[in-house]
Amino acid sequence: MAEFLIQRSAISLVTLFLITVIVFAGVRMIPGDPARVMAGVDADAAGIEEIRQKYGLRDPIPVQYVKWVGRALRGDLGESIRTRDSVLGLIGRKLPITLQLAAYSLLVALVIAIPVGVLAAVRRNTPWDYLASSVSLCGVSIPNFWLGIMLILLLSVRLQWLPASGFVSPFEDLWGNTQRLLMPAVVLGAALAAVLMRQTRNSMIEVLGADYVRTAYAKGLRTRVVVFRHAIRNGLIPVITIFGLQLGALIGGAVVTEQIFVVPGFGRLILEAVFTRDYPVVQGVVLITASAYVLVNLLVDVSYSLLNPRIRIKGGRDEP
Amino acid sequence: MSPDCVPPTGAAEAALAHAPAAGGAVGERLRVGWRRLARRPPAVVGTLVVLVFVGLALGAPWIAPADPIATSWSQIRRAPSWAHPFGTDDLGRDTLSRVIWGTRVSMRAGVLSILFAIAVGVPAGLIAGYYRGVIDQAVMRLTDAWLSFPFLILAIGLVTILGPSLTNATLAIGLGATPTYIRLTRGLVLATREEDYVHSARALGAGDLRLMGRHVLPNIVSSILVQATVSIPAAIIAEAVLSFLGLGVQPPTPSWGTMLNTAQAFLETAPWMAWWPGLAIFVLALSFNLAGDGIRDVLDPRDY
Repeated sequence: MAEFLIQRSAISLVTLFLITVIVFAGVRMIPGDPARVMAGVDADAAGIEEIRQKYGLRDPIPVQYVKWVGRALRGDLGESIRTRDSVLGLIGRKLPITLQLAAYSLLVALVIAIPVGVLAAVRRNTPWDYLASSVSLCGVSIPNFWLGIMLILLLSVRLQWLPASGFVSPFEDLWGNTQRLLMPAVVLGAALAAVLMRQTRNSMIEVLGADYVRTAYAKGLRTRVVVFRHAIRNGLIPVITIFGLQLGALIGGAVVTEQIFVVPGFGRLILEAVFTRDYPVVQGVVLITASAYVLVNLLVDVSYSLLNPRIRIKGGRDEP
Repeated sequence: MSPDCVPPTGAAEAALAHAPAAGGAVGERLRVGWRRLARRPPAVVGTLVVLVFVGLALGAPWIAPADPIATSWSQIRRAPSWAHPFGTDDLGRDTLSRVIWGTRVSMRAGVLSILFAIAVGVPAGLIAGYYRGVIDQAVMRLTDAWLSFPFLILAIGLVTILGPSLTNATLAIGLGATPTYIRLTRGLVLATREEDYVHSARALGAGDLRLMGRHVLPNIVSSILVQATVSIPAAIIAEAVLSFLGLGVQPPTPSWGTMLNTAQAFLETAPWMAWWPGLAIFVLALSFNLAGDGIRDVLDPRDY
């Protein structure tokens, strides 16, 4: 187990190192003087010189890289060209909003995907299964931003049940907060639900065919007991992995969903930064997102190995 | 040999796969493939709808009833009618014609980006899996790092550097899909290179290039094609998302994503502007996925 942990952590460290190189090189690839890029188009000569001094842009590139990583490790991701806010502070303010949205979406996805996936597996090759598979296929094929627009058309414009956009803090107005996040959460959760459902169904089918499940049936246990006591425990393990891999899709989906429903979260922060060419913010956001993704997947792999000892013995996940 | 005579064993399938590509054998395989596809009506429908969209993309100049970028101030935001079955947009342009022309953009982005991913990913995975060792480690760690960027974040980063355009969006989507093909190919090669026929060919004196190109690659092609049928609809949706966000196709070029972006401002007065482009993306992606299920069935040798 210790060997697996060390090996897996080492791989994550290498990955993190490569991420910093890619992000660092990315900003350098923008045509033009990096000091001018970082200072923004409105900066005067003095402002550019200040940036050049501050970030040591006269140093050799490897030195600049090391200093940049050092500052990033201490939490200094630079400051926004537009607002002069610290990038870390900006992220700290926007992230909770997106995390709340993501949590609601996960809830929506799990509530739909697990029961339907299990049902489809238990009632395999019945109309229920076909219906569930069709819905899942539609969920994968529907562009979530269009789903969002259609929901606004129906629930906000036509029926006027829910507000079309905006955000209020749950600490100010919990009901208003829930109302405004309901549609975004459904939109963001739908795609995830489709993928999770498929995975739940497939892995449950595999488990339901296992010898120990047959033994459980042979002992005379009822279907309900076999499914919920015996099968579901192993059947849901692979779902955890998909969860980690889907995190990226969730982040990407949040960008689009926040744009449609005008939720002032992390996703809108990225887009606004891109359109205003606020490179320090783009750089910081990309770095934080990728690092978080690596760490979450490390946690997923570790918890997976705790749940499934076979992985530990083989000494590492090496999926094709 | 009629299809009914094919013995249901893996050996026969392998023999068939390695038969010299004589005209008869190819025709035979196509017939067998068609029979399998025909067992699944949804797959047939999906394939036909994809072909219709291909036809629309190729024939847009002749099929579209109106000029997709000609504005008309007297026809602004007209509801669907006989003259404009899908209505008109905020500049009085015919939505039907714009949806038809938009097929071109979506198809181009969807297919070219995945071709790019295959062109880069398959050789990289082939080399990593075939030579293993240090090259493998280097390629796989880079792939891990690449995969750590959530696709849209990666695309946003690239478009920030390169500037928004259809070409750059296609490139970003292609680069986002590349690691999947590296991993897939590598995994398949690791399994295939230990097969007896590869060892035999090596014993007969075949060099690395010949082994990879003539013996390993042909046996992993079908798995890569199957992956492509999953990737292309995802790429089509990705292009629409990027264009919707303003990071892809720029106006006035008609694309489903940009059309939806504009439509958002007129949801209360002209909802039809939002119906059709989204429906087009949905139907095309769904058809690709249905067709892909069928193709998976046709190409899967285990299922004989």
